[in-house]
Amino acid sequence: MLLEVTNLSVWYDKAMLINHLSMGVDTGELVSLVGPNGAGKSTLLRAITGLVAWEREITKRSTHGDIILEGSVTFDGERIDQIPAHEIVKRGLILCPERRRPFREMTVLDNLMAGSYLLKNKEEIQINLSKVYQLFPVLKDRSNQISGTLSGGEQQMLAVGRALMSKPKLLCIDEPSTGLAPLLRAEVFQKIKEISKLGITVLLVEQEVSTVFKMTSRNYVLSSGKIIAEGTGEQLLQDEVLRKTYLGL
Amino acid sequence: MNLVLNIIISGLISGSVFALLAIGFSLIFGVARIVNIAHTAFYMVAAYCIYIVTHQMGFHPIWAMIAAIVLVTLLGIICYKIFINPIREHEGAVLIATIALAMAFQEIMALIFTGTYLSVPSLVKGYFLILGVKVFYQQLLTFLVAMLIMAVLWVLLTKTKLGLAIRSTAQDREVANLMGINESQVAMMTMGASVGLAALTGAVVVPLTILEPHMWMHPLIMMMAVVVLGGLGSLKGSFLGAYILGFAEALVVFLAPMGAFLKGSVALSIMILVLLIRPEGLFGVSFEEER
Repeated sequence: MLLEVTNLSVWYDKAMLINHLSMGVDTGELVSLVGPNGAGKSTLLRAITGLVAWEREITKRSTHGDIILEGSVTFDGERIDQIPAHEIVKRGLILCPERRRPFREMTVLDNLMAGSYLLKNKEEIQINLSKVYQLFPVLKDRSNQISGTLSGGEQQMLAVGRALMSKPKLLCIDEPSTGLAPLLRAEVFQKIKEISKLGITVLLVEQEVSTVFKMTSRNYVLSSGKIIAEGTGEQLLQDEVLRKTYLGL
Repeated sequence: MNLVLNIIISGLISGSVFALLAIGFSLIFGVARIVNIAHTAFYMVAAYCIYIVTHQMGFHPIWAMIAAIVLVTLLGIICYKIFINPIREHEGAVLIATIALAMAFQEIMALIFTGTYLSVPSLVKGYFLILGVKVFYQQLLTFLVAMLIMAVLWVLLTKTKLGLAIRSTAQDREVANLMGINESQVAMMTMGASVGLAALTGAVVVPLTILEPHMWMHPLIMMMAVVVLGGLGSLKGSFLGAYILGFAEALVVFLAPMGAFLKGSVALSIMILVLLIRPEGLFGVSFEEER
């Protein structure tokens, strides 16, 4: 397995957001994490990509409650659960965060360059850049525009493009379609399929279950910090209770 | 004509000094949300540093400048490590800690040098005349150095990888982290750059002013006013705000009767006006806190 989460638990203060969770993603897969709001999907991605570990370091110096992170996360054969986020990117694991969060006052090009911050080789950066431009031609047209002035859909493309600039093996995307018009959503999903076809493993968190199940190889259903079901889209949709209670279909 | 020229020269010089100070202050605020009240105290320490190296040790002022910048930058980084970094997540506590630092520096300087007014020789002596108005070479030098430093800073921020890291961290430190930027390291380096700027300002300004332990107060107030006017955290705002205030101060000093006594009130009045009319300042953004 490329990514393996074993018995992971996360507490924020006294709230247990992830509850002894185990899951995994294989090289080349396109896997989705679905589930109701507050199920812990985003927290799981944040724990995998080191943001929880980073936040824990920060809160040690503040008055906020404690964050506890237990269990293990293994990526490419190496334990990464106690490593802070900025150390994880170079191992080939990156998160495209919720609400897109481009660096709003920077140009599109600067945003993309920030994505390849850790790459030393200039040629490699240029190759990455041309690949990203090929995938998202709109970013090339707007490369000198301030990213805060882009439309929501373009900002999403930028966020994904920025993540791709780090040359990830595994790309985690958190709710890319939220807040976009239906047409743009379809485009975003199309792009994610293309990324997957390029050989990049994708772990996708989404609300729009019906579309996502058609494109993924496997899916996890998350509720109250636990995996309650796992399988292909078809398998999951056959379960009446699951459909009605957790997937809202 | 003389009067106009005097106002322009005085405005440009104090504007440049305020700009250097305010940009340094904004830089560390933007990146790490540290309101560094001790910023101008570092400027004062740099000025004393120059006094020691030139007067007491007898070196050429240029060595004094270099020594002051290096030593004060180091001092800034040490202070950051010991006093600020451990409490960085409490913004209020950081504010209080930096006030304490500033007071401590002031008292230490008062202990060593007493409160006597001291002065330091100019780097370049003499003056030239523009339309009959005396312009000291030191004034010209101060202005040129300020311009040069701002240009260097601009290149650093927009053209280098460190600049990219600084800008990214200032905008969203969590996402910057995700991109592999070590946010706490960037904060420390920015602190170094910020204090370095304060030291440099002290170094170029000290021949033009009087050296005494309270000399950090007036620039602090002016710098705060500049930052409020320009918008907290905005370097462009700090730059423009500095010149606006520099000229406002010069206008009042030269035109108002007994203007020199009103100097301090100009900044404060502008600060109050800005806070009443446009609290986010000229270029400020109402922060969408994503932290």
